[in-house]
Amino acid sequence: MSMFSDIFFGGLFQGSLYAMMAVGLALVWTTIGVFNFSHGVFMMLGAYFAWQLVAFGLPVVIAFPLAVIVMAGAGWILQASVVRPLIGRPNIVLVVVITTLAAGSLMENGALTVWGPRSKQLPSLIEGNTTIAGVGVSLHQIAIIVITPLILAALWSFLNRTRLGLALRAVAQNEDASQLVGLNVTALYGLAFAIAASLAGLAGIFMGGYRFMNPSMGADPLLKALIVVVFGGISSISGPIFAAYLIGFFEAASNYYFGLYWTPALLFLVLIATLMVRPEGIFASRSRGLA
Amino acid sequence: MSESPILSVEAVTAGYGRVTVLHEITLEAGRFGNVGLFGPNGHGKTTLLRTISGLVAPKRGRVVFDGKDITGLSARAIVATGLIHVPQGNKLFPDLTIGDCMGLGAYSPRARPHEAENREKVVKLFPKLAERWRQRVRTLSGGERQMVSIGTALMSHPRLLILDEPTLGLAPKIKDELCTAVMDISKGGVPLVVVEQDIEFLLELSRQLFLVDHGAVKTEIRPGESIEHSEIMAMYFGH
Repeated sequence: MSMFSDIFFGGLFQGSLYAMMAVGLALVWTTIGVFNFSHGVFMMLGAYFAWQLVAFGLPVVIAFPLAVIVMAGAGWILQASVVRPLIGRPNIVLVVVITTLAAGSLMENGALTVWGPRSKQLPSLIEGNTTIAGVGVSLHQIAIIVITPLILAALWSFLNRTRLGLALRAVAQNEDASQLVGLNVTALYGLAFAIAASLAGLAGIFMGGYRFMNPSMGADPLLKALIVVVFGGISSISGPIFAAYLIGFFEAASNYYFGLYWTPALLFLVLIATLMVRPEGIFASRSRGLA
Repeated sequence: MSESPILSVEAVTAGYGRVTVLHEITLEAGRFGNVGLFGPNGHGKTTLLRTISGLVAPKRGRVVFDGKDITGLSARAIVATGLIHVPQGNKLFPDLTIGDCMGLGAYSPRARPHEAENREKVVKLFPKLAERWRQRVRTLSGGERQMVSIGTALMSHPRLLILDEPTLGLAPKIKDELCTAVMDISKGGVPLVVVEQDIEFLLELSRQLFLVDHGAVKTEIRPGESIEHSEIMAMYFGH
């Protein structure tokens, strides 16, 4: 019983973090058609901004949301500086990989200069531990498991129930036609980046509450988010969400049975096998679009 | 009948990158009602429409819509003036529903207050769309998609409607239906600029025709100048 609940909670928890990261990547890919390789750095920045605000003496309930809002601004600025000027280039996908990697590297080393290499930790969302079904879990982890689906549901209803969300989905599908109904395409691109960055920042805050933070803490989650997004299909946001939880459970199970060291290799094995059978991802529909 | 033109294109040169498609093209539309453009494929008709609606920035020349210089404005700013372009083909938004598309059509602040009234017009014009309101565009037939395209444009509350080959690739029966609908739009008081390969339809719809050839207007046919189908065919093929 304890084995099952270990895997269950571990999977839910990891899956939540991966989903928060992967949804942002997928959002940017579907609307703009580029991969943001500084997405992991956004995660780190969100955690550090939150840490700084807490260090200034702000209470957690103000510091964390404020850090998320600051991240939205950071996402907008990144989009305006290293993505927007390149739109319309024939080789934009590759160029943006390089510009976002470069920007990410700059921000990472900037964080290292400002905050130093010493590991830091954020306060938990909720302090304390509990035992559920024979497994000890921290309340922080439970909070993340509960909050993440709520945020993803809010994002889903924003995309599907509001006119602005409709505009974002439209830009994802046909840029010319979007312009011809009068959508502000560049502003929508900025919005996609802002949402993605704030979700990454929130994931960073979640992570900083149970693990030590350092300036390169975003690298591994970015890699995982990429796997999730490729595995689930990059053409929607619901695909990556399902895939995130699936991979979370897979990792938890693999950690339990094969150990931590084998898990990344097994994960890639599954990924390669999936791509051989379904190159578009397991949950993918036929075209680019948010749903 | 001789009013001031609603749209004038003055010596516009435009293209993509280094390739120039339009060579100082000049035309005036709206003085005699609807305008038809025809000519061989690949000679700049679509590029002309894309330049007028702001998708392509002209290198030289001027575009004036209802007395306002719209040269070099963004497509969004041009939509806001009421000049609405229905592009060629029916790719649209494949994963949006018909209802979504109509909502997008009414996105601009100018069109928003007229949303309900325009939706009624669209449904009256294309009752088929009402039946499939929640269906995704990708599941529709070519003719239905074209109806969605035109319907979306009507939701934008057009003062001038530009149609790029509205009947391209459609079965004869659907084509007739669409032609009737386009005529109805015109009767409803919206002036049209139409690119079309079906000359019969074009002659019925418009009193002023332009033959676009090699990125320029080769021939203009004004009202009162009788024109035979065979003469147009001759212009097409250059005999």
